[in-house]
Amino acid sequence: MTDLPGYPSRRSFLKATAAGAALSGLALPASAQQTPKPVSLDDYQREYLNADEWAFIMAATARLIPSEGDGPGALEARVPVFIDRQLASDYGTADDWYMEGPHDASAEPARGWQTPLNPAEVYRQAIPAFNAWCQETHGAAFAELSPEQQDASLTSLQNGDVALAGEVREFWGLLLSNTKEGYFADPQYGGNHGMQSWVYIGFPGARAAYREWPERHNVKYPLGPVSISGERA
Amino acid sequence: MKTFLRIIGGLAVLGVIALLAFIFVPVQISKPAQELAADWQPEPGQGEYVMHASDCVACHTAEGGEPLAGGRAIASPMGTIWSTNITPDAETGIGEWSYDEFRAAMVDGIAKGGTHLYPAMPYENYRLMKEEDIRALYDYLMAEVEPVKNEVQETQLKFPFNLRFGIRAWNWLALTHDAGFNPVGTSDLQDRGQYLVEGPGHCAACHSPRTPFMSQDGVTADEDSFLAGGVIDGWNAPALRGEDSAPQQWSVEQLAAYLATGRNAHSTANGEMGLVVEHSLQYLTDEDNLAMAAFLKGMDGAEVEAPETFAAKGVGAIEIAGADDAGEATASMLTEANPDMPLGARLYSDNCIGCHFASGKGAAEIFPELQDNHMVTGSETKPLISVILNGAEVPGTAKRPMTLRMQGYADRMSDEEVAELASWLRKAWGNDAGQVSAAEVAAVRNADASH
Repeated sequence: MTDLPGYPSRRSFLKATAAGAALSGLALPASAQQTPKPVSLDDYQREYLNADEWAFIMAATARLIPSEGDGPGALEARVPVFIDRQLASDYGTADDWYMEGPHDASAEPARGWQTPLNPAEVYRQAIPAFNAWCQETHGAAFAELSPEQQDASLTSLQNGDVALAGEVREFWGLLLSNTKEGYFADPQYGGNHGMQSWVYIGFPGARAAYREWPERHNVKYPLGPVSISGERA
Repeated sequence: MKTFLRIIGGLAVLGVIALLAFIFVPVQISKPAQELAADWQPEPGQGEYVMHASDCVACHTAEGGEPLAGGRAIASPMGTIWSTNITPDAETGIGEWSYDEFRAAMVDGIAKGGTHLYPAMPYENYRLMKEEDIRALYDYLMAEVEPVKNEVQETQLKFPFNLRFGIRAWNWLALTHDAGFNPVGTSDLQDRGQYLVEGPGHCAACHSPRTPFMSQDGVTADEDSFLAGGVIDGWNAPALRGEDSAPQQWSVEQLAAYLATGRNAHSTANGEMGLVVEHSLQYLTDEDNLAMAAFLKGMDGAEVEAPETFAAKGVGAIEIAGADDAGEATASMLTEANPDMPLGARLYSDNCIGCHFASGKGAAEIFPELQDNHMVTGSETKPLISVILNGAEVPGTAKRPMTLRMQGYADRMSDEEVAELASWLRKAWGNDAGQVSAAEVAAVRNADASH
């Protein structure tokens, strides 16, 4: 998505608002909480992904939930951190999944996980294969392509037009669902930084107490979210 | 001059003799308050019942240890006192004790052999027990409890508290009341309650204030300070008399339910009181718990109407009370959920409101109300801080088997946040108590961590 000349983009609006808030010197209301500024995504110490994989995840998640949309993008929400940490955890290694065969890569999707690889291995094998396809089709690895080429590549991946080995056929589904999870999960897992996605959709988080509200029709619930660890926004 | 020296010398000699007498002449022990017939026998089960009513297990059982075999550490301002083995083991327990020696321990605080017991043993209160109950307890301990060989750690307090003969002088101050029970005589029910509260229940040990000499200020019902509230190890044992006290705010039925099950329409018992419910009160008959409730209700002269039963089976849906006049402003502020609310209110909304509700009224028999809750507004802030940090547990009882557990929030809130929340709670819904500082929270958190 490109900005039309002369039209304010969401990003420039945010920049202006932030500058305005900084200049006005207003204290945050007592209810909000300063989230400590985390290390930038460029300096982030990866737990599982290698440099090429990281570059791919950064570029791919940024197209799946772009920063130029209505709400925060995958990068603002630090979705790549979530994916890296998940792949390093018992999710990545499928510790509590049933992983015995037989595996039938031609089985219908409803038949479930049909590969001996765990999610971490799927990412490891699929990313170079997909990058090779991008190289062949568009002339560069995914992260080096233009946004339009990236969108086209992801569309091909989604439609099954990218010939991937049967063992990594779940790759697109994993990538998309892990990106959504990193965007909406509790911040303790590394994504949804500052509960930005919850603020954006108006989800009040782990408060679990709205007894007086179900019968208040057409009244906006005003209080910001709280995370499982007690962060406020 | 010579005469003067002679007088001084004489006085010194007299002083030494007096001191030696103080240390070595055996103390006169009290006679039975009432003579029992030679062939008197306790009713079956009477002794065990007295054991429960007197909560012997609370102190004389170590954590994870055999019942009544002693070895529990009891913290006192003078140091740690180790409770003794009261099973009938000849060597390490009380198997060799005669009945008169046993009574002397209960009534005068003197062990076999003449040693003074530390007043962690509430003989100030057991002194008021009836002869037949003491005798029934003795028969039970000797005949029905299995002897357990368990050598307990000897209590070694620092000087001067290690000089046990000094307790003799302390007893002159503490044991001014006669042995035996003197009923007020309002009604049979209230007299029975008075007996259980004053004597075996030893409620005054925590709920009466202490004198400067650490003896109980108010041991019997005729004293104004009796059960006027005390402080034990940084915890308030709330006043059980006076306008704002629970016995005056609650019905007799609710009081009895609290005693027997640790929960009622208003509150739940945790900390030391939870242990009393768990180890002692749940084993008493409904009639006796009602009797204590009736006595407490009428202690200041109120008219007492006692129901036949309480805590009936089959509670229906949980009733959730709305806010009252005093709590309305706080409740509507919380309900509006305005982001500009004070930090304490925001923390309450994020952490507490799901169970204790915007009204601060909680829910009957599960979530205690925080409005007018003595633990929330007490002079001591440690209990409130501790419950926020570590949570709390209400034991299950025969009538209400479910154990209630509140989670702790130590990981979810900083010291500053807990202080904000606690300070806010102490002013919410018409509560009126002072601020809590982050340093107080840190002290409780660090003390817990070092355990």
